[in-house]
Amino acid sequence: MHNTSFHFPFSPLSFCIGVVAVLLIVYIGLIATVMSYAALTVEFSQSVKNDKAVVASLEGQYLATVARTTTADYVALGYSLPTSKTFVPAKSVTALR
Amino acid sequence: MRAQFRSRIRFVLTFLILATICIIVRLYFVQIVNGEEYSLKADRQFSANSGGLFDRGSIYFTRKDGTLISAATLATGFLVAINPQTLRDPEAAYAAISAVASSTISRNTFFSSVAKKGQVYIEVAHRLSEEEGKMLSEKGISGVQVLRERWRQYPGGSLASQSIGIVSYGSGDTLAGRTGLELMYDGTLSRSGDSLYRNFFAELFSNVGNLLVNARDMREGDIVTTIEPEIQTRLASNIEKLNERYSSKESGGIIMDPSTGAIIAIASYPTYDGNNLQSVDPALLGNSFVEHVYEFGSIMKPITMTSGFDAGAITPETTYKDTGCITVNTARICNWDAKARGVIPMRQIIMQSLNVGASWIATQLGQDKFREYFVKLFGQKTGVDLPNETGALLGNLSKPQQVGYDTAAFGQGIAVTPVQMIRALGAIANKGYMIQPHLVSAIRLNSGIERKLDWGKSVRIFSATSTLETVAMMGALNDEILYGGKAKIPTMSVAVKTGTAQLTKPGGGYYDDRFFHSFVGFFPSYSPRFIILLYTNDPKGVQYASETLDATFLDLVHFLIEYYAVPPDRGFVTSSSTSPQTTTPQ
Repeated sequence: MHNTSFHFPFSPLSFCIGVVAVLLIVYIGLIATVMSYAALTVEFSQSVKNDKAVVASLEGQYLATVARTTTADYVALGYSLPTSKTFVPAKSVTALR
Repeated sequence: MRAQFRSRIRFVLTFLILATICIIVRLYFVQIVNGEEYSLKADRQFSANSGGLFDRGSIYFTRKDGTLISAATLATGFLVAINPQTLRDPEAAYAAISAVASSTISRNTFFSSVAKKGQVYIEVAHRLSEEEGKMLSEKGISGVQVLRERWRQYPGGSLASQSIGIVSYGSGDTLAGRTGLELMYDGTLSRSGDSLYRNFFAELFSNVGNLLVNARDMREGDIVTTIEPEIQTRLASNIEKLNERYSSKESGGIIMDPSTGAIIAIASYPTYDGNNLQSVDPALLGNSFVEHVYEFGSIMKPITMTSGFDAGAITPETTYKDTGCITVNTARICNWDAKARGVIPMRQIIMQSLNVGASWIATQLGQDKFREYFVKLFGQKTGVDLPNETGALLGNLSKPQQVGYDTAAFGQGIAVTPVQMIRALGAIANKGYMIQPHLVSAIRLNSGIERKLDWGKSVRIFSATSTLETVAMMGALNDEILYGGKAKIPTMSVAVKTGTAQLTKPGGGYYDDRFFHSFVGFFPSYSPRFIILLYTNDPKGVQYASETLDATFLDLVHFLIEYYAVPPDRGFVTSSSTSPQTTTPQ
């Protein structure tokens, strides 16, 4: 008469402890990954915002330059108005025209 | 023995499963059900600014080459906060902070904050630059925290500020758009506070869908306007000079593409700088282009004339007898100089800006027809994407007295907003079609998609033929009358009309010596790319709009022609002739 029941090669209690340990490590790993991802997201986002602010500062300089050019009194700066304007036909920009 | 072991295993497994369920349920309650409460508690414990970093979408100007330039964006820097309970040396702390933030911190405020020993977090200085913030942070002063902050910045300062709008707290505790495009597109520009510090467990439990398709990214984005920054700067500069020269109460101008309704520039004076709102008169925060109505005067005559042509009441060859003054319902209506012209054709009504002639056309049209045209043009709000748009005052057109129609024919007795006025006049420029003025062309969503806004709704008001007749008259006015004919540009047809209206008295009636000046023009006349509306309210020492606004208008015309390289539409044979044409500049 044979014993047909299955035998674990190791103690079921050890198996459960092993599974729990693996799950715990996976859990900690997931938390570490998620936290790293969150930190990187925040860091990258802040970096983008900082870059945008730098660009905005340059845009502010551009707009200030446009305003300065627009309001400049060229006569006071020593320039004189042109005596005449000459209109000439524009050259074709492609050979097909 | 085996059965006992199995039951022991089952017991352990059941315990583990129950523990797991308990943890999940606890997490659910902590992060979903009571998440907000715990978040606030945590904020208080860690003395951080509980609102988080301010975030908001940008508003862009669009250069002629399509380059986007920020009109409203975010600046980043640092704020300084103190913890009165842990601050050991207030004098040293104040000296260190005031060294980098002297303009934003006062000694009294600082030491009154230090005295509040019951609090653990008080902000004492804001908007420090990167360098200043890092310099202070490196000192590591006990009880002083240097925290990052962001705030709304307008790189153009006062450029189109009344249309761009402002962000403020208002009556609540949330920073939001309060005026202009900031208010109109607040839903697109505002950002959810948790966008950076996402609660991952909460996302997993409650927003599984967001992991695949984020609804916020489909709603939140940046705004792209049709405003061209260099044209805007030019217009704003000219309007300011105009207002100061004539000491006007206010002045304004709009430049629009009459075929699409895209507003290229919109400027008024006085105005304000959105970066510095401390000393701004709250009345300036509104937008006179949509919130105020004006009696525009004679720039209404082209509309009366075109209505007459379109209805078949008159033709260009029609003549009438101008007596200089007429009496209608006991009211006396006169030409600007009260002089009679005799029998003259319709063209002279526009060329000489004759009130009696405009009234005569209104009479020929009849009250019903006249009302029909004016209600089509001014009866509804324009739908421009600016908040608080008001409607026109057309009450005189609901009454049976003819005088109301006769005065409306030359722009008195009815009041409309500047945006309504340019839209109505744009119908003449646009071959009879009235379009919808707008400031925003597209929304750049966070998802990466750029959504073009459809403003293509146009309504036919006049036939193309009737508008062409009026355009010819307005063109002749520019070429023959304005500046005694010197305003004529040999290579570019320009159609214009000036308007001078008497200002209303608070108790009724009109002032004899106070006026509202307006000016409209578009070019090239028969296929216009630009329509310009200018006005100045109560200018001093001058009576007629042709004296105040023509120089500003012509400067803008020449600037636009050169800036956009608008090709000539007359006086130039480009196919065979290569000989240059020379003109004397204005």
